[in-house]
Amino acid sequence: MMNWAAASPEIFLAVAGMAILLFGVLLKKENAALCTMLVLGAFAATFVMVMQTVPQTAYSSLFVTDAFASYAKLLILAGGALTMVLSLDYNERQGIGRFEFPVLMLFSTVGMMTMASAANLMTLYMGLELMSLSIYVLAAFAREELRSAEAGLKYFVLSALASGLLLYGISLTYGFAGTMDFAKLPDAVTGVDGVSTGLMVGIAFVIAGLAFKLSAVPFHMWTPDVYEGAPTPVTAFMSTAPKVAPFVVLLRVLIGPFGHVSVQWQPIIEVVSIASMLLGSFAAIGQTNIKRLMAYSSIGHMGYALVGLAPGTESGVRGVLIYLLTYVAMSAGAFACVIAMRRQGKSVERISDLAGLAKTDLPLASLLTLFMFSMAGVPPFAGFFGKLYVFLAAVQSGLWLLAIVGILTSVVACYYYIRIIKVMFFDAPAPAFDTRSASVSFVAIASGMFTLLFVLALGPFTGAAEAAARVLFG
Amino acid sequence: MHLVLANYFPVLVFLAIALGIGGAMVGGSMLVARQMPYAEKVSAYECGFEAFGDARRRFDVRFYLVAILFIIFDLEVAFLFPWAISLGRIGLFGFFSMLAFLGVLTVGFIYEWCKGALEWE
Repeated sequence: MMNWAAASPEIFLAVAGMAILLFGVLLKKENAALCTMLVLGAFAATFVMVMQTVPQTAYSSLFVTDAFASYAKLLILAGGALTMVLSLDYNERQGIGRFEFPVLMLFSTVGMMTMASAANLMTLYMGLELMSLSIYVLAAFAREELRSAEAGLKYFVLSALASGLLLYGISLTYGFAGTMDFAKLPDAVTGVDGVSTGLMVGIAFVIAGLAFKLSAVPFHMWTPDVYEGAPTPVTAFMSTAPKVAPFVVLLRVLIGPFGHVSVQWQPIIEVVSIASMLLGSFAAIGQTNIKRLMAYSSIGHMGYALVGLAPGTESGVRGVLIYLLTYVAMSAGAFACVIAMRRQGKSVERISDLAGLAKTDLPLASLLTLFMFSMAGVPPFAGFFGKLYVFLAAVQSGLWLLAIVGILTSVVACYYYIRIIKVMFFDAPAPAFDTRSASVSFVAIASGMFTLLFVLALGPFTGAAEAAARVLFG
Repeated sequence: MHLVLANYFPVLVFLAIALGIGGAMVGGSMLVARQMPYAEKVSAYECGFEAFGDARRRFDVRFYLVAILFIIFDLEVAFLFPWAISLGRIGLFGFFSMLAFLGVLTVGFIYEWCKGALEWE
């Protein structure tokens, strides 16, 4: 008998999304804020439903709900909700406040939750496409702006190519293994005559397709342009939840069905990780636009997180899960500060616009300082613990090179993070920013509190990440 | 081998009848009707567009919208046929799966209708 309840959070969220879409279009008047509130309510209800799910496999083993999936889903929902709150004020001031915006974010979140629960390569692809299709539209949402349209088109073309690579990898895997089920793939992978070359090529293509979504080097080309051109809440969204979902899928695929052949994929992950860390730290130095800087920063962060995947151990996966948690909080907070950068009703995004912010707006400057220190990995902020756990896992498995490159590039990255702090505190003040709305302050303060006080709640979060990681090795 | 060919006999009969009817219609009108050809009459007719010409000509962007909307419902029909044929085997689960899919499409249809995507002007 089919177990219908397994995907109830996703089904609920999708149905709620369609209901809100109909509500928005039938109401016929300006109702973006109301629809955003409704979507946030749906997110909260889904959050509670995910917390109550029991571990099971359903739909002919296409779909699995376990502690790992739940951890990822809660993180995705939190990231989506935080950036949704950021969009409230920004969209209205930019004149792009249409009710489709939150609905598209909701559908993207449904796709990401499906990815987190994927137990079959087809489910993975379905979720990935639902996530990406919504983001294409979101990136081009400010359609009267040339840069936004360009960002949407660029992301669409390149992402479609990456989806093609991923599908090619899936078809090769299916052709050589004869199954797409994660549960059955290990037996097919460890056949009598070892791993076939075709299957290895398939795995490499799957990694390439997912690395594109993670914006890991050498699949990072789209990131700076799309981050700069897209409306800032969309950029914030892209750098939180849609980074988590492909990463947890990568963890599940590589540790689960391909865990036995980690010798084969480990070099790929190591190279991608080292290249991302290097590019993320060195290319960001010359940036003058804060959104571009954040793009390179996110490339670097994905490199650090991949350090935890390379060993293929339980402590490594735990490290990645903690890293993603802290990264989502820091990112949402940093982008809240970027959204607060408005002067005379216009959004400004140059780093020099932040000059002397400490004299004109000390709270905002302190919050941004907090996020920058945390991203640089300065203790005792949240970002430090993410880095600590992944480097620890790498060292435990003897991957010294990864840990050394990671620490050296962290030092380089410190330069551009701390440069922003220097600009805010020691440069001659630029004109003050417009007063920011309560919603933006809320996100910045909430993320700031999390980043600052993470050290106090280290036990519960580490415990949850450990329980989630154990599922993959069970 | 002969058995396989024999299975195709109805197709041959169908072809012969089609050729016969088609030929009779065209040939009959050529023989019996009065012929008064002029440029408009002999030009090919295809949905209002010239059938042969430069691909880089301008056309109304609204055709594009219509085409996209058409594709969605065309695909729906492509899904409906195999579903209708195998309905006896897939049971209630298959039946309601398709209904859920149609429900999602209906939501999209209502959205595009209310947004005015179906209005030409």
